[in-house]
Amino acid sequence: MNGLWKIVLLGVVMAILLLFALGLKNDPRDIPSPLVNRPANDFTAPALEGDQPVRLSAHRGQWVLVNFWGSWCVSCVAEHPYLMELAKQTKKRTDFVMLGVDFRDNPDSARAFLARHGNPGYAHAQDPEQKIAIDWGVYGAPESYLVDPNGTIRMKHTGPLFPGWFEQRALPLMQGAVK
Amino acid sequence: MRLFSPLLLLAWLLVMPGPALAELRNEDPTEAMVRHIAKDLRCAVCQNQSVYESNSDLAKDMLNVIRTKVAAGEQETAIRDYFFQRYGDYIYLEPTTQGMNTLLWSAPFIGLGIGGLALWLAMRQWRKRTRENTQPVPTNTAMQERIQKELDQVHL
Repeated sequence: MNGLWKIVLLGVVMAILLLFALGLKNDPRDIPSPLVNRPANDFTAPALEGDQPVRLSAHRGQWVLVNFWGSWCVSCVAEHPYLMELAKQTKKRTDFVMLGVDFRDNPDSARAFLARHGNPGYAHAQDPEQKIAIDWGVYGAPESYLVDPNGTIRMKHTGPLFPGWFEQRALPLMQGAVK
Repeated sequence: MRLFSPLLLLAWLLVMPGPALAELRNEDPTEAMVRHIAKDLRCAVCQNQSVYESNSDLAKDMLNVIRTKVAAGEQETAIRDYFFQRYGDYIYLEPTTQGMNTLLWSAPFIGLGIGGLALWLAMRQWRKRTRENTQPVPTNTAMQERIQKELDQVHL
């Protein structure tokens, strides 16, 4: 075997190892959503609380955080304190609103969840057969989408929103710093 | 007769699944369509299972969405596209042959080609080397004279 072949073989092995190393860092659950920068699918559904149905397109002109959750979802419990805080923090903003979609759930359990872990005060749509969730390409809970005032999905966040998410991820988009 | 009865039992066991298969043949054509579509779609929360085979809640609800759409008379391509637009090409159990995926599909053949070429080159080199080894060593007159001298000294 001459020198050239040795170098070629070494290069191939290194390339494969590099691909493995890069692949190890991939989160198999973090699948890029093809819905980003596409118009959000509108939904109208009965609200968890009250008689007024929840409709996404009623919030045109505002940024909407659509949070998919369920009382059966363990990570949603972890996420909940931040949602409470975010709702309180953004209450006075006229350009930002939060909506919940309670999917694959029964309303009583969902209401019990809010009674136990605190009620952030924004509206929740009921989606017992996860029709909205499938229409929005949701895999599990929690998953959140940020919809811009024109009704276009601008960002998807898989997993619980973390403290500081609004300032780090949402605000730059809302202020037009990130295109 | 002692041999005959086990054979009869075996035959009977083979015939038994008949009714179950007949049921499959007589299924509603809508359901056949649902199955056909759902078998090609990945259950998004499972590892390598189709929507049709999976027992997860998401897969069951996806199956219901497909069922509603098939019943509404939507075409297979339209339904596949509906899921593709929401979940990306991850939703297809078998990757499509478009875009970057052509690289994926052609990679084994490219690999085979490169391997074949490498083997051909290597074999050519081996044969060349064998040929060189079997050829007589070129000699000059001085060398030949010396060999002759050495041979002359040998007494058989």
